[in-house]
Parts: sequence; structure tokens; C-alpha cells
Amino acid sequence: MSDTPKIFTLQQVVSSIRKTIEERYQQYYWVKAEMHKLNRFASGHCFPELLQKEDGKIVAQIRGTIWNHQFETINKRFISVVKEPLKEDTTLLMQVKVTFHESYGLSLQIVDIDPNYALGELQRERQETLQKLQKDGLINANQQLKFPLLPKRVAVISAESSKGLSDFMQVLKNNEWNYSFFTMLFPAYLQGDNAASSIISQLENIKKVLHHFDVVVIVRGGGGEVGLSCYNNYELCKEIASFPIPVLTGIGHSTNLTVAEMIAFRNAITPTELGDFLLQAFHNFSVPIKDAIKSIKYYAVAKVEDEKTDLNNLSKHFKNGAQQSLYNNQQKLIAQSREVGSNVRYNIQNNRQKIERLTQNTLRESVHIFQREREKVDVLTEQFPKTIKSSIIGESNRLDNLLHSVQIMDPINVLKRGFSITTFNGKTLKVGNKGQKGDEIVTKTAIFNIKSTIMDIEEDNE
Amino acid sequence: MSKDLKYTDAFEELKQIVSDIEDGEISVDELSIKVKRASELIKVCKEKLTSTEEDVNQILKELENN
Repeated sequence: MSDTPKIFTLQQVVSSIRKTIEERYQQYYWVKAEMHKLNRFASGHCFPELLQKEDGKIVAQIRGTIWNHQFETINKRFISVVKEPLKEDTTLLMQVKVTFHESYGLSLQIVDIDPNYALGELQRERQETLQKLQKDGLINANQQLKFPLLPKRVAVISAESSKGLSDFMQVLKNNEWNYSFFTMLFPAYLQGDNAASSIISQLENIKKVLHHFDVVVIVRGGGGEVGLSCYNNYELCKEIASFPIPVLTGIGHSTNLTVAEMIAFRNAITPTELGDFLLQAFHNFSVPIKDAIKSIKYYAVAKVEDEKTDLNNLSKHFKNGAQQSLYNNQQKLIAQSREVGSNVRYNIQNNRQKIERLTQNTLRESVHIFQREREKVDVLTEQFPKTIKSSIIGESNRLDNLLHSVQIMDPINVLKRGFSITTFNGKTLKVGNKGQKGDEIVTKTAIFNIKSTIMDIEEDNE
Repeated sequence: MSKDLKYTDAFEELKQIVSDIEDGEISVDELSIKVKRASELIKVCKEKLTSTEEDVNQILKELENN
């Protein structure tokens, strides 16, 4: 036990390990593993990192080796079947041999990769996400939104250092038409494991201030084509599809479209193209305005010209019409004045004749009437004195009779016939004027007046 | 002219005026009024193309408050 321990050289140890491993692992095995990094060197040899993850954590990791000549063969087959080159961050089914090299250590030498399995893996998540979205009825949800007339206010989900972001901003800011955009960056991881949750969280933020934005863009580029499987992530794709305003993607890669790109309102191959798309929307707004200016000018001028022409024509017509009408009326007037002249002459002659006839008739008639009246006067003249005389005699007799009657009525005549009138105080005796015993009364006769004194008054009872 | 006039509304109204003028549905009496209105609308639309009114600080403040 006190022996000095046996000392090996490193080469001896490593050689021993190699021998052991070579003896133990003589076969080729089919292994399922994620190829994280390809690590191809200038020589053409590749030394990929092979991983196995469970719940996002690496549970196994080993270096792989693909010799250049094998890589060429594998990659060619890969491209022909999967339609894209051998890609990092994908799970692959590969045929390997466990090897150990004295200098380079342990590795899995990859002699073949099953392209069909790679294709299947790649498509599996993509297909699953698509199916779920289809089931949710969200596949076309974002694409069916109305695109704003002017996508002026742009919420940008990207990374500050991203080449894609600077390309995108370059297009928007340096446009020669002076179109003005408002952009605000919502920084997020754009690839790898954290990308999906990071983008979702920024989409949630944008939702809070949604009224400030017209569109959302997700811009990535310049970071190589690895770690894009996050854009097939169901949760992220669901968030994009159901987002209330259009989400546009410019993720910038050349492989198959991810689900996010498929269901986004619009996908551009590069961030630059996405910027051009937004500019195009401004053009679409601006060109009709330019056309409107042209159109309004053209039609307004034309309208005024038309009206002018109409007015000219109208005034020409008016002049001709007026002249014609004037001439016609003149002719009528001349004809009428001629007619009036001859009518007047005819009427004057006619009336003169009538007057002459009337004058003659009148003369004749008046002589006749005068003669007749004179005869009447002569008769009356003869009759007049006789009539007067007889009427005067009649009247005189009537007057004599009247005088006689009046004379008979005179009291003196009555007194002459022996009657007398007795008065008291100058008035004839009556019931109220009879005097008393001793009073003087006067008795008038035709020839004398007798004054006497009342001796006695006896009432006559009869 | 109202400052609140949305470019969508301005754009729609402008399109209507243009189509009315093109169809000859506008009399000479109305023409100058319509042309004047159209030029106002064009001005609004052009301004919308080349100006922005949003304020990043305002949006950040709203984000913090939410």
C-alpha cells in the first residue's frame, strides 16, 4: 500500500478512454436531439451543439461532429425534402456513432439526418397552432379588420439593437414625400425561448393605450434565421390574431412562413418592405387627393367654359330673334296703319253723308213742327179772351154770394131784427159772469145802449 | 374649418365633391362654394400626411397609470 502510485500520461488515459468507448459503442444509433448550433467551420466540418430539453430546461447536452463530405450529402437531401437548409434550433433524428478523440474529446459523429423527421417536427407545432386557431375561429380575425386610411401611428415591437428596426425606421423617416409617422418602440425579445411571452406582454401594453395607435408592427432582422419557432407559438399567434388593430409582421427570414406571419394582417418579407407598405398606404391616400385637385380644376374650368359658350349662343340667338321679331312687328304696324288710314277715310265720308242727311231731315221736320205749333197758337189766341171773360163772371157771382152770407152773420143785423146783448164788465152774461144785485149791466140794441142795475137774480131751474 | 375633422371624413367628403363635380351635378352657382370647400379639405388631408400629434410622454404616462 506504500507503493508509489502509478502515474499515467494524459495520452495514456485518453487513449484508454477512447479504446473503451470504441469497444463499447461499435454500432450506429438513431438519436433524437435538438441541434442548437451548427458551428460549421471554414474547413466545412461542423461541430453542432446537441441538446435535449424538458420543460425548457436542458437535460442533456453533447457535441456533435459532421465531416464536411457528409454534411454536403445530408444538407442536399435536407433541402430537397424539407425545402430549406439544415437549420439550428430544430429537433432532428440523426444516425450517430459515439466517438472519442484524444484532442477533441467525446462527440457524436453524425453520419445521417432523417429529413422527414425534421420536416415533421417543424410542421408539427405549426400545424397544431393553425388547427387551434381555426377551431377558435381566429385564423382570419386580424386580416378582416379594416385597415386605417392612414397608418400614421405605429406601435413597433422590436429590439433596439435590431438591424431590422433600423431598416424599418430608415424607410419611414427618410421618405422623400415628407410623410410623417409617429412611432413608439415596445422592446421585446424577437427570437428564442423568451420571445413569445415577451411579445405577448408588449401587445398587452399596447392594448392599454390602443387609442394612440393605428397599427402594430413586429419587426426583426439581421439576427440570422434561428429561433423563429416562437412565431409558431399558439399563445402568441392567438394574441396577434385577436388583436383589435392590424398587426403587421416584418420578421425577415427566408424559410417557410411562420403561423404568426400567416395570420398577421399583412406580412412583409423584410422590415424595409414593411416600411414601404406603410408608405404605399400614404400614397394611396395622397394620390386621390392630387387627382382630386386635378379633377376639380379640370371640371370646374370646363363647367365655366360650357356656361360661357351656352351664354354666347343664347345671346346670339337672342339678338337674331330680337331683330326678326322687331322686323315682323314693324311690317305688321305698317300694314295696320295703312288699314286704319283707309278705314278712317271711309268712316269720315260715311259719317259726313249721314250728317248731311240728318241736317236735311232736321230742317224739313223743324219747318213742319214750327208750322204746326204756330197753327195751335193761332187757335189758342183766338179762344183765349172768350174763356177768360166767362170764368171772371162766374167768380164774381160766387164772391157776391159769399159777401151776402157774411153780412147776414154780423151781430148788428141780428140786433136790427130786435135782439139785444147784455154785458157785465164788458162781457156777455154767462154762468161765470152774471154779476150780483146792485151791479151795473149794459144792454146793447141796434140803435142804443141801456145801462141798468140788477134788482134781483132768479135762477132758471129749467 | 373644424380641427377635429378626421382625415377619413375629410377624405370621404372630398371624394363626394369630386364625383359630384365630375358628374356635372353641381351648378355654376354652387361651384365656387364647393371648390372652396374642396380646397379646405385638401389642405386638411395634406396636413395629416405630414404632421403627427401624438406625444410619447403622454402615452408612457397612461401606461404607468393602467
